Amino acid sequence: MELYQKTAAELSAMLQAKEISAVELTQSLLARTDAVEDKVQGFVTVTREQALAQAAKVDEKRAAGQALSDLAGIPMAIKDNICTKGTLTTCASKMLYNFNPPYNATVVEKLAAHDVVVTGKANMDEFAMGSSCENSAMHPTHNPHDLSRVPGGSSGGSAAVVASGAVPISLGSDTGGSIRQPASFCGVVGLKPTYGAVSRYGLIAFASSLDQIGPFGRSVEDVAMLLDAITAHDPKHDSTSVQTPFEGTTRANLRADVKGMKIGLPKEYFGAGISDEVRTQVLSAADTYKSLGAEVFEISLPLVEYALPVYYILSSAEASSNLARFDGVKYGYRTPHAGDDLIALYTKSRSEGFGAEVQRRIMLGTYVLSSGYYDAYYKKARAAQRKIRQEFAAAFETCDVILTPVAPTTAYEIGSKTTNPLEMYAGDICTVSVNIAGLPGLVQPCGFDENHLPVGMQLIGPRFGEQTLLNAGLAFEQASGLKNIVAAL
Amino acid sequence: MAIERKEIEHIAALARLDIGDANFDHLAADMQGIVAMVDQLQKLDLGDITDQIDAERKNAFRADVVEQAFTPDTLIAPNAPDFQAGGVAVPRVVE
Repeated sequence: MELYQKTAAELSAMLQAKEISAVELTQSLLARTDAVEDKVQGFVTVTREQALAQAAKVDEKRAAGQALSDLAGIPMAIKDNICTKGTLTTCASKMLYNFNPPYNATVVEKLAAHDVVVTGKANMDEFAMGSSCENSAMHPTHNPHDLSRVPGGSSGGSAAVVASGAVPISLGSDTGGSIRQPASFCGVVGLKPTYGAVSRYGLIAFASSLDQIGPFGRSVEDVAMLLDAITAHDPKHDSTSVQTPFEGTTRANLRADVKGMKIGLPKEYFGAGISDEVRTQVLSAADTYKSLGAEVFEISLPLVEYALPVYYILSSAEASSNLARFDGVKYGYRTPHAGDDLIALYTKSRSEGFGAEVQRRIMLGTYVLSSGYYDAYYKKARAAQRKIRQEFAAAFETCDVILTPVAPTTAYEIGSKTTNPLEMYAGDICTVSVNIAGLPGLVQPCGFDENHLPVGMQLIGPRFGEQTLLNAGLAFEQASGLKNIVAAL
Repeated sequence: MAIERKEIEHIAALARLDIGDANFDHLAADMQGIVAMVDQLQKLDLGDITDQIDAERKNAFRADVVEQAFTPDTLIAPNAPDFQAGGVAVPRVVE
């Protein structure tokens, strides 16, 4: 078995036993990256020299007998909307093609304290707006399981580089499904934590009330390990971050036990629009849970009908405000065509720097916030958000977790949905409610379709229900054997 | 509700975007479709639910302690497209 086929937990054990050095491991995974990157194109930037220097430091510390984190020396990728001091952070946008952050995101600081080795910045849909990674201004990323297909999005690069074996773990961000849907398409595990569990400081904002950073891995244990490293109250830099009951402890408390666990299947998530293969595989996972002693029953979450309008109103409104800062003045792209006019400088810089999807979202956001429409759209969506939160809260009075599909289909062909934005948006139907309600969601593989493409399932928990989700995920992983799936390539 | 051409031009101006003649019809068609989608929300009966902030949410403030985190030279100069004499240069705004 090659090193790239091992999980972070396995690699960690090898590093601690001194069977391999961090430099050897990093060189080995950079070689895997070189072998597959031409096909997958999951990175915007590969930080080779920096990674090898970080790895050498870890080896020195270990040789000196220092106590190290389990993540010390483990290579990983970071989504390119998370600020890394001294390393380009582009958001996969022409607007930030040359942005070199003067500071690290809180999560990057925390990972540095754990001595992880960052081998690169992962590709994404521009400003995290998209569900296929085709909106990257750099290049599209290809699904490692079928290079003609999309890896999902927006964290498509983060999911693809884990599925391809270039790294065992990575960080993504999730505003409406941007960790979970690519995890599903690429056959890896991804977790969107409870809103506030992970600091957003240094995450380039898309929709601040919905954005959340989270981990990818090829096993539930690896995802728990990475979650433990990044979860923390960050009172200095993120006023929405909170103290969680599971900070740093989910891996230690993993128990593959679902006996007596109450699992709700919301009937509305299995209806028309969900492909037969996806429905069948997720329902088969429900049967697995029954055989493991869980109590599985149907529930109803009818407000999912309104999830897409609420999500696209709230997220686009916040995006239009957050992205107002990109004007060609303080950082990023500045048009050479403005002449002597400041307004033309703003307008042309933005029109030339932002891609089509980002411009559509800014337009929608500006519209729903504009005079005369604010009450009908933004205000109503905020009220609907409360109603959706209440609906989930009521559901969690009867069940411990909720099991649903992640997306209506498995990974689709590159280019097949780029002409109609509405068709792309419709693919977010199973994931956006989780962000609207601020809840945690775990996605992991539950089978394959007839084209041998991974099918994912989503477990939704109550606020701070991460441990329960991970335990339920581990129980399924062990029962199904669907763990550590590395694309052949 | 359908959006008129004038309205799209107004929104673009507010958003500081220049749609351009070549892209205008395409974007207008996309906007019609997207607004029709979000309009589905109008069917939802909210009862007595309003958009008020839930009571359990609390504002969070950190201690008001002055510290030197960045200077213009370390924060702005490395990334500003045009940085001169300690400031960001832009086209003239005063006649």
